[in-house]
Amino acid sequence: MKRDANLLVLCALIVVLLSLGGAVSGGTFLSMFNLQSMATQVPEIGLLAIGVMLAMCAGNGGIDLSGIANANMAGVASGIFALSLFDAYQSPMLFTVTFAVGCMVVGLMGGILNGIIISRFGITPILGTLGTQMLFTGLAVVLSDGRSVTIGAPDPLYALGNGLIFGVPTSFLIFILIGIVLGLILRYTPYGLRLMLTGANPKAAIYSGFPSGRIITTTYAISGLLAGIAGIIIAARNVNVKWDYGTSYLLVAILIAVMAGVRPEGGYGRVINVVLSAIVLQLLSSLLNFIGLSNFVRDLAWGALLLCFLAVARFDLINQVMVFRPSRRIPHATK
Amino acid sequence: MKNARHVLNTGLKVALVTTVMGVAGQAAWAQDGKTITTVVKISGIPWFDRMETGVDLYAQEHPELNISQVGPATADSAQQLQIIQDLIAKGTDALAVVPMDPTILEGLLKRAMDRGTIVVTHEADNQVNTMADVEAFDNAEYGAALNARLAECMDQEGKWTTFVGSLGSRTHMQWVGAGEENASQYPGMELVDANNESFDDANGTYEKAKEILRKHPDIKGFQTSAGNDVLGVGRAIEEAGLTGKVCLVGTGLPNPSAAYLDSGAITAIGFWDPQKAGMAMNEVARILLDGGELTDGMDLGVEGYNAVSVRQGAGEGKLVVGNGMVIVDKDTYKERLF
Repeated sequence: MKRDANLLVLCALIVVLLSLGGAVSGGTFLSMFNLQSMATQVPEIGLLAIGVMLAMCAGNGGIDLSGIANANMAGVASGIFALSLFDAYQSPMLFTVTFAVGCMVVGLMGGILNGIIISRFGITPILGTLGTQMLFTGLAVVLSDGRSVTIGAPDPLYALGNGLIFGVPTSFLIFILIGIVLGLILRYTPYGLRLMLTGANPKAAIYSGFPSGRIITTTYAISGLLAGIAGIIIAARNVNVKWDYGTSYLLVAILIAVMAGVRPEGGYGRVINVVLSAIVLQLLSSLLNFIGLSNFVRDLAWGALLLCFLAVARFDLINQVMVFRPSRRIPHATK
Repeated sequence: MKNARHVLNTGLKVALVTTVMGVAGQAAWAQDGKTITTVVKISGIPWFDRMETGVDLYAQEHPELNISQVGPATADSAQQLQIIQDLIAKGTDALAVVPMDPTILEGLLKRAMDRGTIVVTHEADNQVNTMADVEAFDNAEYGAALNARLAECMDQEGKWTTFVGSLGSRTHMQWVGAGEENASQYPGMELVDANNESFDDANGTYEKAKEILRKHPDIKGFQTSAGNDVLGVGRAIEEAGLTGKVCLVGTGLPNPSAAYLDSGAITAIGFWDPQKAGMAMNEVARILLDGGELTDGMDLGVEGYNAVSVRQGAGEGKLVVGNGMVIVDKDTYKERLF
């Protein structure tokens, strides 16, 4: 069994960043409040990164650029819909459920649209999702007149974004739970296996009789569903949703996925790595904010980190070649 | 062999990151005094660089306080949100925020105040969850004054359009709204394609302005809002050879606009000094930190804020309005060059 270099490095980085933060801040960085505060920041970007990972795994240049736009559209559309049906403060439970289900439905539909465009019409994912990204953003602008939509802070929804369960932010728990479920699905279900095999070699997958169209549509649909859930969390945290929220998330989500060792050519990616990678980025940016450095330094640090991870992947490749060679020579030696 | 490689890789990277962080960390936690941190919309642009000079000046005047300014590297409300959240967790005593989008920050600022953090805002008179919002001037008066200058240049007739930083930028919307109202008294002035979003990006604004000049070859005037808009529109006007034929009045800083003011591509710029606003915000934060009261007509000790009007804000907080409006043109900008 091959060791996962990325997993080890990510774990090591988390330990290093935490201890460094603790040392530099005199302990404040490790305070319960800050740990909770950082944990509440991870889910929205983490969910989008998992979506990007799934798209990348599907191969054929798979990527989902429409994640944050889909999340914003879900929040805006579902928010307007739920507000027209219920008063957020009079029937908070009904409102929250309607809003959450609405977000997931809109997100899912956005994802299915992506999947159909890519699998049925054979459009390159980067172009297809760029198109839907603009479409989703545009729809959100039209629906909301370009203004932010006030969802309000009815209790169950507010608790979802800001509450704690046993000291752990609810949104973070949801994120971890989704990570576990998806990780299990990818590992133990036929769908997971087929997704990775399709990504690794689309041609072979077609000749093996895989329903690749359905696999790709399902994958982008899950990615859209995750964006919808990110939309719920964004609304729960910020009270308001708006079409232009998180424009910088697009590239950050890709950065997280690549740092997690997801292979951009498709066929390989682990959810746990994406979760850890999102945590590493959060720790790094929070640490830099604690130190009070310019945010341009953060971009620099992220870039350096990405290059480091690419280098690690390279070295790993060299290792594989070196292991592979002697094993080929063995038959010659024993002849 | 393979394991050794892994250990080596991990070790190398850990060492690298630690070095970077170690160097970076030296600046932090220098003083024990109360902390006031100014969070701007975006760092590295002239407007907020100027504000930083004010924050630095205020820091010099108050060595007992720990004062600094930060801001996101990209104009995204989500990035500003994260910075503020980290600052609250860090235990910052007072935040002076210039919100990218006030509505996005409502939830977070409420949690900050619940936790005992002092919150002062600027350029966000609709912010509900703030203790005091500092405005340099009455926004309606400013928008009307800009438009009056534009109308004068346009001889009160012709097509004109407006630019805002973003549709969510409330003050910008107020300025162009007041501008529209002012222009409505001149039947000859026709507003076309109003409220173009510039995202405070000179290049993007330049492209947008070129499009508008193509679409409306007979356009006579531009009223812009974000600090970089005049530069983008000014460049487009100059390159189209329309200098002197198309009027441009908007918010901008004298130094970056100087060349276009001299050439006539920019008719006039209006502004308030972000340096003074930064100082006023910090002073208000300090007063609130000391448990003081904000009273109508009080003197914040900053030019343009010597007799502020204190009203009820959008929420429970106060609205502090100064008298810091400045409109300069080719002949007068040198008196206030910064």
